[in-house]
Amino acid sequence: MSDHDHPHPEHSDPGHSDSGHDIPSELALRVKALESLLVEKGLVDPAALDALIDMYEHKVGPRNGARVVARAWCDPAYRQRLLADGSAAIAELGFTGRQGADMVVVENTDTVHNMVVCTLCSCYPWPVLGLPPVWYKSAPYRARAVRDPRGVLREFGVELPEDVEIRVWDSTAEVRYLVLPQRPPGTEGMSEDELADLVTRDSMIGVGLPRAPGAKSTSAGTGP
Amino acid sequence: MPVLKAVDVEATLRKGDSARLADPVAPRFEVGARVVVRNLNPPGHTRAPRYIRLKRGVIERDHGVFIFPDTNAADQGAKPQHVYSVRFDAREVWGDDAPSNAAIYVDLWDDYLDPA
Amino acid sequence: MNGAHDLGGMDGFGPIAPEENEPVFHAEWERRVFAMTVAMGFYGAWNIDMSRHARERMDPAEYLRASYYEKWLHGLETLLVERGLVTREEIAAHRRAVAETTTAAADGDG
Repeated sequence: MSDHDHPHPEHSDPGHSDSGHDIPSELALRVKALESLLVEKGLVDPAALDALIDMYEHKVGPRNGARVVARAWCDPAYRQRLLADGSAAIAELGFTGRQGADMVVVENTDTVHNMVVCTLCSCYPWPVLGLPPVWYKSAPYRARAVRDPRGVLREFGVELPEDVEIRVWDSTAEVRYLVLPQRPPGTEGMSEDELADLVTRDSMIGVGLPRAPGAKSTSAGTGP
Repeated sequence: MPVLKAVDVEATLRKGDSARLADPVAPRFEVGARVVVRNLNPPGHTRAPRYIRLKRGVIERDHGVFIFPDTNAADQGAKPQHVYSVRFDAREVWGDDAPSNAAIYVDLWDDYLDPA
Repeated sequence: MNGAHDLGGMDGFGPIAPEENEPVFHAEWERRVFAMTVAMGFYGAWNIDMSRHARERMDPAEYLRASYYEKWLHGLETLLVERGLVTREEIAAHRRAVAETTTAAADGDG
């Protein structure tokens, strides 16, 4: 069976490596060809492409968002500003830019749990979370997050009490959403840096919870 | 037209790309207003998802004035208008089998909405 | 448009299957597609809504089959051709030229 027969490669093969498969190898050649054409035409600067890749592969990622969350946990005045004007409060920490110019932060409480999706494409707050993971952009999550959020949360290992209200935010416009998760119990006295280490990427999308203090720091749900 | 240079990448990307506009356009709805999503089926681009068309919701938050994607995608101008976060109860969208304590918030433009 | 991209509420796609320790990109070609798309966005021959629409206009079955950056590549090529910045013939010619200097098997950029 060739890759052409895969109904949903995005989730059946999220790795989608381009070694040894017909389609990925063809894609690699097609992309190489397009880049050479755009360079020849003077439409792109290859060094700029390298810089773009470096920025989103190494400089911008969910550690930014974790800093925002940890600050909000430590500083009540910052939390207030963050919930009142997400863009401005996040910019205070230096996180600004494309796909994050207009930010809204939604807060989880004992009675409300928030979750973010983009059913129409892949809208995601780049300056605080980096580029989205494959599952966030794929059909299963985009289809079900708005329809069966509790089922989706269970798939991520999150079981919430029945009386917690679930709010799903569908990012259909240019506003980008960040979830402010609840500070885990037993973290009194921890520094802002220590707290930031507990904040996972998934907890800021709303499909996970922050790590408990002392829990093993796998990078699961944190992303690179 | 400008070709993006390596030296400008970081500053350009950090500067952002807000679709927010300064045009003094009045909102058609107040926060708390009850609205219904129009039965839109345009052949071109739209950001009104199918699952909330003809559904009733409440204006939760007014995000301000933004570019309207339906016209912007067709090169017919920005048509500045308000975008709102509209709250839909899960049961309004998915029926009685949906939980009573779940809601979906969708960002919608003035042109997608009618008073309910 | 009532396209395949409008996924909210659909059934049958299976489990979400998050990947442990997922890298930002899964292949070198994904990096280049991402960067070319963002760079050409700043060039100004189209806006972000046109860019989204170009991906949504993919054949619906193809849209659901394709991986994320395949959709981006499709959208980028579509807009480049529609704006007259490149032609399909030029794309094909460069594809042939690349094939002559690179064999698929030796393309170890995963």
